[in-house]
Amino acid sequence: MIFLRIATSAGRVIIRNKLRSALMMLGVVIGIIALTLVVSAALGARQRVMERVKKFGLDSLMVTAVSGVQSGRQAPGQQITSLKIEDAKALLEEIEDITGVAPFNRRAQSEIIFMDRATTSTVFGVTPEWVPVWDWDVKSGEFLTEQDMEKFDRVAVIGESTRFELFKDSNPIGETIRIGNVPFIIKGVMAEKGISPGGGDMDNRVYIPLTTFMRRIANVDYIFGIKVRLNTARNMEKTAESISAILRERHRIPRDLPDDFSIRLPDEVKEMAEKVSGTFSMLLILVASIALLAGGVVVSSIMLISVNERRREIGLRKTLGARRSQILLQFLLESTMITLSGGVLGIIIGYFGARIISALTGLPAVISWQSFILGVLFSGLVGLLAGLQPARKAASLEPVESLRA
Amino acid sequence: MNEALIKVENVSKIYNKGGGSEVIALDNVSLEVFRGEFVALMGASGSGKSSLLNLIGCLDKATSGNILLNGTNTRELGDEEMARIRNSKIGFVFQSFNLLPRTTARENVELPLVYSDKRGISRLAQEALEAVGLGARLHHFPAQLSGGEQQRVAIARALINDPEIILADEPTGNLDLRSSYEIMAILQKLNSQGRTVILVTHEQDVAEHTKRIIRILDGAMVSDEINTAPRKAESELNKLTAKEVRT
Repeated sequence: MIFLRIATSAGRVIIRNKLRSALMMLGVVIGIIALTLVVSAALGARQRVMERVKKFGLDSLMVTAVSGVQSGRQAPGQQITSLKIEDAKALLEEIEDITGVAPFNRRAQSEIIFMDRATTSTVFGVTPEWVPVWDWDVKSGEFLTEQDMEKFDRVAVIGESTRFELFKDSNPIGETIRIGNVPFIIKGVMAEKGISPGGGDMDNRVYIPLTTFMRRIANVDYIFGIKVRLNTARNMEKTAESISAILRERHRIPRDLPDDFSIRLPDEVKEMAEKVSGTFSMLLILVASIALLAGGVVVSSIMLISVNERRREIGLRKTLGARRSQILLQFLLESTMITLSGGVLGIIIGYFGARIISALTGLPAVISWQSFILGVLFSGLVGLLAGLQPARKAASLEPVESLRA
Repeated sequence: MNEALIKVENVSKIYNKGGGSEVIALDNVSLEVFRGEFVALMGASGSGKSSLLNLIGCLDKATSGNILLNGTNTRELGDEEMARIRNSKIGFVFQSFNLLPRTTARENVELPLVYSDKRGISRLAQEALEAVGLGARLHHFPAQLSGGEQQRVAIARALINDPEIILADEPTGNLDLRSSYEIMAILQKLNSQGRTVILVTHEQDVAEHTKRIIRILDGAMVSDEINTAPRKAESELNKLTAKEVRT
């Protein structure tokens, strides 16, 4: 009851000293706007990471010919040659949950030439299964076929970035490009996919039949990796174990030696990507907190001035029976009510600000209950901390002396 | 004879004690005030009369000596108990009214109730303002009221917790003659209803409205007289009105 009455008094003081209250609020508003923007940017970045992870495929695994441990059979920098197309077929046949396998090999930084133009792309040797396993199709023309594979055809499907570099606005289908010195006829352009979880441009690629790649480009009998599609996102660990067991058996790896391949699950991809965006977010939140701290200092100093100006009022309240604790409470309530309303205002402005920035720049901005809770919590805390010293000062004033002032 | 409501025993008040500029405001003062009395503390400014009022009002502590309110020695009370006594047992009226600016008359009157457990504070405040003839000024701000009206708001505030003792420090000091009579009439009425009133003043005119006049000089009591024929503020007010009508 008394609490409510003191809160009402505090509210009246705030309303009747509009300029002072507005100035105090301003500092907090700016801080909370910064915080809201930063949190929405961080959440947006997180969402973007999740989108990238989805590109990797949440119900798929990646097997690559990279040794998990850099010791044992593999000398550093030496290519592992044990992963074969037959391994991919074996996995598809032997594990029930696997619905598709897309074995591939690739060569990064390959020069691609069309007429007098050249660009650098990653050349992928893939099978027709690439499309269903990655859930990724051409946007024009057609993808590589079994026939292309069997006949070692020199045909290619290119990504959008590569297409743009070489052809700008003209139609590439039917044109001939050179990879190294080998000519390839373009039969399709892939749909855009954007940035990979690792940060590479997934559209700067040239796809050719895996058979052609192995014989004409790389002249090898092994592949670099197998993308494995599962019929469910559950039991992923177990499937990974099965894959590991089959590959170890096929590669005749003794029990005491490490794998000559690694299996990446979507979780690991997610973690990797989140680690990068997480560090960035922490930094931004730190900056926003400093802005909020500055707001807190403003609140605190204006409160101190206000306590000095209101010595008479404080003395009167004490004379009329207010206890120290009740004066303390009133001033704490005043500062917290001001910063809380500043916080809510900041959240609202920050919300629209984030939407506007997002619309202008195309950066994702996610506004969620987290940023709301964080804003309310922080602004309340700032009010409490900033109000503490002025409130203590007010509470310790002697009624006689402050009345005389 | 029953016990004194207020008992001041050998009270001294020294400011800056031990410091370079020691000021003796009260020097070994003793007096008793009984329930229903109307006392004027008279003296020049700096005589110590306001210090005495502050000590009786639990706003300050004596350097030595005891002050007993209803038999309770205030020297033994903590801050919180002093605050409770100020809130419920004593009504204060000041020379400069001490109303909160930008706060309506009713909210000003409610102020002591904010720190009490009483319910229905708006209604109580309204009744108190009606009792001092300001029922039509509930929502006015102090700046919109005359000096006399402001002091009446302050009296309503002093009465809101139904205190036994009214302490008034130069209540008419800032007012014109007519308003002064109005305030004195209200104080006399409160006294006739049984409340104990102690009034600090340096004006003989004002003191003559009380029933007992105590004179203080340089921190010591010099006289303590019963005023057998107090002036009636009510009738003086009527005379004043009659004169105004004639002219």
